[in-house]
Amino acid sequence: MSQIIWDGLFVGSFYALIALGYSMVYGIIKLLNFAHGDLYMLGAFIGFAVIASFGGLATSLGLFALIVVMMLSMVITGTVGVVIERLAYRPLRGAPRLAVLITAVGASFTLEYGIAAIAGPNPRGFPIRLTGDVFVVLGARVTLPQIVLMIIAGLLMIALDTYIRRTSTGRAMRAISLDMKGALLMGVNVNAVISRTFFIGSALAGAAGVMAGAYYGKIDFLMGFIIGLKAFTAAVIGGIGNIRGAMLGGLVLGLIEAFGSELVGGQWRDAFAFAVLILFLTLRPTGILGERVTERV
Amino acid sequence: MSENTDTTFAPPPPRTKNTLGARLTAIFENKYIGWPALGIALLMPFITASAYSLNVMTTALIFVVLAAGLNIVVGYCGLLDLGYIAFLAVGAYTAGILSKMFELPVLFTLPAVIVMTVLAGLLIGAPTLRLRSDYLAIVTLGFGEITRITANNLQLTGGPSGIFGIPSFLTIGELDLQQPVIFYYITVVMVAGLVLAAARLGKSRLGRAWRYVKEDEDAAEAMGIHTYKVKLLAYIFGAVWGGFAGILFASHLSAVSPQSFLFLQSALVLMAVVLGGMGNMKGVVIGALVISLLPELLRDFAEYRYLVFGVLLVVVMVFRPQGFWPARGYEPERKMTAVDAAVAEGRSR
Amino acid sequence: MKNTRRTTALLGMAAAVLLATTACSGGLLGGGDAEDGGEAASGPIKIGMVIPISGSSAPSGEYMQNGAQLAVNEINDAGGILDGRMLELLVEDEACDAQQGVASANKLVSSEVVVSVGGYCSGATLPQLPIFGGANIPMIIPAANSQDLVREGLDNVFLINGTGLQQSTAALDFITKSGYATVALVDDNTSYSTDITTETESQVTGDGTAEVVLNTSVNAGESDYSAVVRDITGSGAEIVYWTGYYQEGGLIIDQLRQAGYTGDIMVADGSADATLAEIAGDAAEGVFATMTPTPDTLEGAEEWIANYEAEFGATPGPYSTQAYDAVRLAAEAIETAGSTDGAEIITALEGISGFEMFSGPLEFTDEHTLSNGGFVILKMEGGKFILEDSLS
Repeated sequence: MSQIIWDGLFVGSFYALIALGYSMVYGIIKLLNFAHGDLYMLGAFIGFAVIASFGGLATSLGLFALIVVMMLSMVITGTVGVVIERLAYRPLRGAPRLAVLITAVGASFTLEYGIAAIAGPNPRGFPIRLTGDVFVVLGARVTLPQIVLMIIAGLLMIALDTYIRRTSTGRAMRAISLDMKGALLMGVNVNAVISRTFFIGSALAGAAGVMAGAYYGKIDFLMGFIIGLKAFTAAVIGGIGNIRGAMLGGLVLGLIEAFGSELVGGQWRDAFAFAVLILFLTLRPTGILGERVTERV
Repeated sequence: MSENTDTTFAPPPPRTKNTLGARLTAIFENKYIGWPALGIALLMPFITASAYSLNVMTTALIFVVLAAGLNIVVGYCGLLDLGYIAFLAVGAYTAGILSKMFELPVLFTLPAVIVMTVLAGLLIGAPTLRLRSDYLAIVTLGFGEITRITANNLQLTGGPSGIFGIPSFLTIGELDLQQPVIFYYITVVMVAGLVLAAARLGKSRLGRAWRYVKEDEDAAEAMGIHTYKVKLLAYIFGAVWGGFAGILFASHLSAVSPQSFLFLQSALVLMAVVLGGMGNMKGVVIGALVISLLPELLRDFAEYRYLVFGVLLVVVMVFRPQGFWPARGYEPERKMTAVDAAVAEGRSR
Repeated sequence: MKNTRRTTALLGMAAAVLLATTACSGGLLGGGDAEDGGEAASGPIKIGMVIPISGSSAPSGEYMQNGAQLAVNEINDAGGILDGRMLELLVEDEACDAQQGVASANKLVSSEVVVSVGGYCSGATLPQLPIFGGANIPMIIPAANSQDLVREGLDNVFLINGTGLQQSTAALDFITKSGYATVALVDDNTSYSTDITTETESQVTGDGTAEVVLNTSVNAGESDYSAVVRDITGSGAEIVYWTGYYQEGGLIIDQLRQAGYTGDIMVADGSADATLAEIAGDAAEGVFATMTPTPDTLEGAEEWIANYEAEFGATPGPYSTQAYDAVRLAAEAIETAGSTDGAEIITALEGISGFEMFSGPLEFTDEHTLSNGGFVILKMEGGKFILEDSLS
């Protein structure tokens, strides 16, 4: 039982990291970035490429090398996120919702099949593997890598929360999410803030990608698809547009999935997650902490 | 509210120049353009009748039905459905399971397929249509995946192997209508009928309601249109078209497997609609033909196929969101009346 | 308006007539399906192959294509068959997708192949059976081995890879030989994989020495398999048999060992790939596999491997030997039948006895499968699979 809870929380922390990016972008420009999950995949592949180019040096330094690689990957993934926003979303800022959503689908496909064309469609093994001691805590097997990764994820989330609450950019983000025109009139550089939002959100997804690669050991070009949908579900559960909601939603979804898999069996796991999403949207669209989802005049 | 700069429904500009471009536009906008197109489709087997080309052409036509159905949902009514392939799955599996179980020709499963797809449309539409377009997109994707996973896991649908050995479309005495050439002609006739029906739907009162809802849902509601009902009807019609495609699909392949209903397939249908021209049935048909035939013609570049499609989608939406063949207003040109003449004259003074 | 209508109609008619008359020969009014008017009595004999060229199974497709091409080159160098007619290999892509497989099969039929020697993904191969069958083209399938293919019971289909049934028999042999008392079976919910677990369960239960304590499925394409790992560790099974592909197998093996599972792990032939060790890391040491022999585990295949490497500049992988044998078998059958007629080739194939292949001397059962499945047990050591038990 405690094993199920721990497993659920561990997977949930990945969902939370990615859901954060989703929620941030949605909060600021009301766009569901369909390509967000693929940024997670991109982060993993960039990490793979960086490690491969350093060869044996990287593999021997273990965790330290991983953190360096993760930072590098975060920067690159963040930049790619900004580029996508600039090329695909900014030109469509005043356009009907349908157009932007379709563009996001196109961006997602481009990332997925672009990586497939470059790195091949086959899954790759991630060169740096995390191994560590095992502890038994309250009846659950807990490994050192799991603890380390959850700590890293936690630190990133706390950093983000502080950033939003304390810095001026964070204030600007909150202002834009309330009223974009008003913020513009008050002298906020809306374009710059939006770019920064995309950078941070994508960087977080990239970090999650590198960590997933190191922990699970396998990366492939479609790994972002399903996790993007799960992250969206997590953001909805927590209340979309709400940063703390995204974190909470991620953990909650991880737990729901873990218990659900016990109930209905492994092959129904994804269907179960989607059913939870649909249920939440139908019965409690505001999520646990969030704003209204159905539009009213 | 964000500005809606969507001008896809401006009435066609009056033909003032006699240039080649203007003449071509007039020809292609002519309402009888369908007949030559039908003629070409009917004559294709006389150009090439190998098993391969008949197979490819039939597959392309089935894809056209799918695109027409999605055009009703996305193009006419503006509902972004990312799980449209679920309706094809429902139709194909219903046709396959029933025809195999009761040893019927596939054509006889038509009533059941219509019932099942209407139910599917209701089931998927009911909870989702109150949501905003962004959520609608993801939730419909979720439903698409749920359908595929369910088909993959249940014994009834044959599990991961799916249903195979599906009987032929119809056998009249000695004549088996599943033969490639005959089946191709049946498909042409059915597809022509379905595309025409969908286009007619678009021009009907319901079609106008759809367009109104697409333009501005709140105003439509204020004007007395029951938007929920109208959106649900769009869904249901889209589902039924998917069902028809499913019947053709099941007989054409004689096997139905869950691998044919990935999100990728939903995205391809969406691409056909978007690239062809959302809301314009003629454009959508061309878009569907291009998307389904191009991979066969460019077999050497199979690796880059989806990458190209993805990039194309972004490029089209940024630079030409109305697609290859934009939808134009359906209001008929008014004839000049005496009042108009007087006004025009008054202005020129 | 009237002008436009007339113009449209005229243009349409003109286009239609133009198309119909200029390209008449290929269509219905022409000489039928044949591009060049019927079978030539001389000229190359075409052998068709539908394999995955794009998509995630592409590497296997490449091995199969090269193996087949090697055989074609050898036979042509030796003078061809049927009095000096050369063999020609036509390859089309199935991408492990039913629709593409069907289109490719139709393409090969239109190109007038005499025999089909392709077939990797069972899901994509199943719908091809009636297409080749309808054209009376025999199929020698070197890799796809789902029991569904056998159950269709079609005359023109011959399988030269061990079937799911034969693989599960091999698994049972190993289980009883090694004395495991409890067995867990895990598949990835695909046709090929569930086939093996279903057969293995019924065989193990029927045999009675061991007990199946768990039979479950997982979702392919995920990263986190903690649920199934919990199930396996909780079931107390002494050996786990994973019948899916290496992508998930590697993850499950790694996560099992991380969770402290001490039992043995065995995988089916879909996971017997070097990438398994890449993904699972050290956890893959000691993992068993039921597999038909790959070139590097076959005795006496060194020369063949050298030829392959010289010809294609790459090491051969799984199913290259089966594809090689498929072409050789096809050539033998055509030679024995003395013609390229489908029905006669089928009769010849049924009558073949003792034809030497890598999997042993060939003899077809009544169901057109190998009388000896040829499965052996491999074991992972130092990141590579080596022969553990040949089960003969």
